[in-house]
Amino acid sequence: MTALLEAVQITKTFGGGIFQAPATLAVDNFSLRIEGEPPAITAVVGESGSGKTTLARLLLGEIAPTSGAVHYLGKDLTKLSRKERKAFRRDVQVIFQDPYEVYNPFYTVDHVLTMPARKFGLSKSKSETSESIRQALTAVGLRPDETLGRYPHQLSGGQRQRLMVARALLIQPRVIIADEPVSMVDASLRATILDNLKSLTREFGVSILYITHDLVTAYQISDNIIVLYRGSIAEAGHAEPVVQQPQHPYTQLLMHSIPLPDPDRTWPREQQSSEIGKLATNFAGCKFARRCPHAMDVCLERHPALFQTGPDRVSACYLYQDSPELTARSIDAVFATSEAGPGPVTN
Amino acid sequence: MTRTITTHSSDASEHQAPDRMDSVPEAVLDVQNLHVYYQTSGGRVSAVNGVSFALGRKEVLGLVGESGSGKSTIAMALLRLIKSPGKIERGQVLLNGRDLLALSEDEMRLVRLAELAMVAQGAMNSLNPVMRVRDQIIDAWKDHDVELRGSEIDERISMLMQRVGLRAEDARRYPHELSGGMKQRAVIAIAISLRPSVIIADEPTSALDVVVQRQVFDTLQQVQDEIGASVILIGHDMGLMAQSVDRLGVMYAGEIVELSPVRDVFRNPLHPYTRLLIASLPSLDKKGALRGIPGMPPSLLTRPPGCPFQPRCPMATALCESEAPLLSLKRPNRMVACHHVDTQL
Repeated sequence: MTALLEAVQITKTFGGGIFQAPATLAVDNFSLRIEGEPPAITAVVGESGSGKTTLARLLLGEIAPTSGAVHYLGKDLTKLSRKERKAFRRDVQVIFQDPYEVYNPFYTVDHVLTMPARKFGLSKSKSETSESIRQALTAVGLRPDETLGRYPHQLSGGQRQRLMVARALLIQPRVIIADEPVSMVDASLRATILDNLKSLTREFGVSILYITHDLVTAYQISDNIIVLYRGSIAEAGHAEPVVQQPQHPYTQLLMHSIPLPDPDRTWPREQQSSEIGKLATNFAGCKFARRCPHAMDVCLERHPALFQTGPDRVSACYLYQDSPELTARSIDAVFATSEAGPGPVTN
Repeated sequence: MTRTITTHSSDASEHQAPDRMDSVPEAVLDVQNLHVYYQTSGGRVSAVNGVSFALGRKEVLGLVGESGSGKSTIAMALLRLIKSPGKIERGQVLLNGRDLLALSEDEMRLVRLAELAMVAQGAMNSLNPVMRVRDQIIDAWKDHDVELRGSEIDERISMLMQRVGLRAEDARRYPHELSGGMKQRAVIAIAISLRPSVIIADEPTSALDVVVQRQVFDTLQQVQDEIGASVILIGHDMGLMAQSVDRLGVMYAGEIVELSPVRDVFRNPLHPYTRLLIASLPSLDKKGALRGIPGMPPSLLTRPPGCPFQPRCPMATALCESEAPLLSLKRPNRMVACHHVDTQL
């Protein structure tokens, strides 16, 4: 089956010209298939500099990979015809981190809703458009009368971000790439917006790639989690085992670093990195070796492959080198589909 | 900066003295009935509306709240750094018994850093990009008339650097040569350089990754312990609060609605807002429905009558609409501003 959106061994480097510093490897040989059917939420978790936003921009076709390709319905993004490009623009939507910067301050917020409705010919008449806009707003918990006709500065950050979710809903895409959609939203609203995203998958069958630095929300809404470390997959698999029994030392470090909202659960101290890792300089091995408490000689030699440690997970770490290497073309071979099962078919 | 302290008020709720039964032994800092507003074209925005709290010796007090709850305004008001169109309307800020709001600007300048230091949000913005870290520390000392000989300077700087987990030679670097975590440590080094009795940390790690955040908090806790300072930690992250403060004040719409030992807040939140806020936190233990708090925080321009949380509160009654509840002692050591702490609905 042709995947809806597929990253085929994409690599992206920045810089590295003759007079510049060595190139930065932002995304390193990454493959992922998003089938779209049945729908699922996949989280890409990483710290700043892990390449997660670069990955989002590559999948959206905003930037071209240095090597490899992104395919939409089996066709290279850079080779789409005008018509296919329009379909791609409708099928793959994005929700950005900053709900302040996506609006044009001179237009009322209606503009971001009516524009795509017109462009994609979503409805036949004006009244039909306005009806579907009202439905979409209500679906994300906004009151149409209090939202429509307003200017962006008259809405709060949380409202603007929900409006973006409503917009995505209106366009009825098949995939949404959400890049840190709640990192600028207050706690009490965060839950509401994440719940909105979840219901997009459950009720409208939209697959979501949820890009975040926050393992806790990733765990809450995702079916699968990919942990990125400096452009490479450290660990990936079903959300449950990845979070409850993290295997990769980096995932373990991330988990231990989260301050839990419970005073009775202590915040464990950081483990010391191993002597081998600390002393290492300039090596081509595992990117995490220098910070890793378990670094071994083999870790300095070459970057580990993805070892399949279970039916539902992979880990790029030599601690698991007795497990077979992942043979599938991309990591979604170990992924689950949405727990709720396929949603009702839309369109 | 202009400073106005009115001694009387027509505001009805102001005549009642705040309940001071939350006796904090050896209070280093005692804030009473602090009011701060911003004058905007739309009218007066009361960002901090009658806040009172005390900070004990070596205590870590958290102030948690969403954006617009007034938590950062409190930090700036304590340091008297509120700029026009903002204004400290009235209140008292007693630091070791001295009212900071009554000091002259020159006196206040000497209090900052030496007695009351700040670790601000986003380290990258609080360091001077064209000065080496070392020179910024020396600069701060000069400003406070600390005169040291060359060898003493080197010794003290390298001690400071070690204390915050940096190498002595890092002091000779420019801020851009340091990582985010290192910059925030450098800021902590400056903050503790004159051994202040109170450190205000306003979202000290909000720009940092979780792993680095963990390290910076380690450093902060360690130096606090070593120099015996008290800390006010300001932020929005309930997890950070749970892990690092002794007492927690929960802010809503410019007011403290609950002020209690941190364990009590999490085990048995008494204010409905605190309860809903804690229920909205995503958990790592089990997947469940995510529950946000319906509605939105009130506009500070047009406060709702009575309790500020009343329009969103599941327990609100007619009383809540007519009368603002005062922060008062409802259980031993626990201050809550709610009419219905003892009501079961």
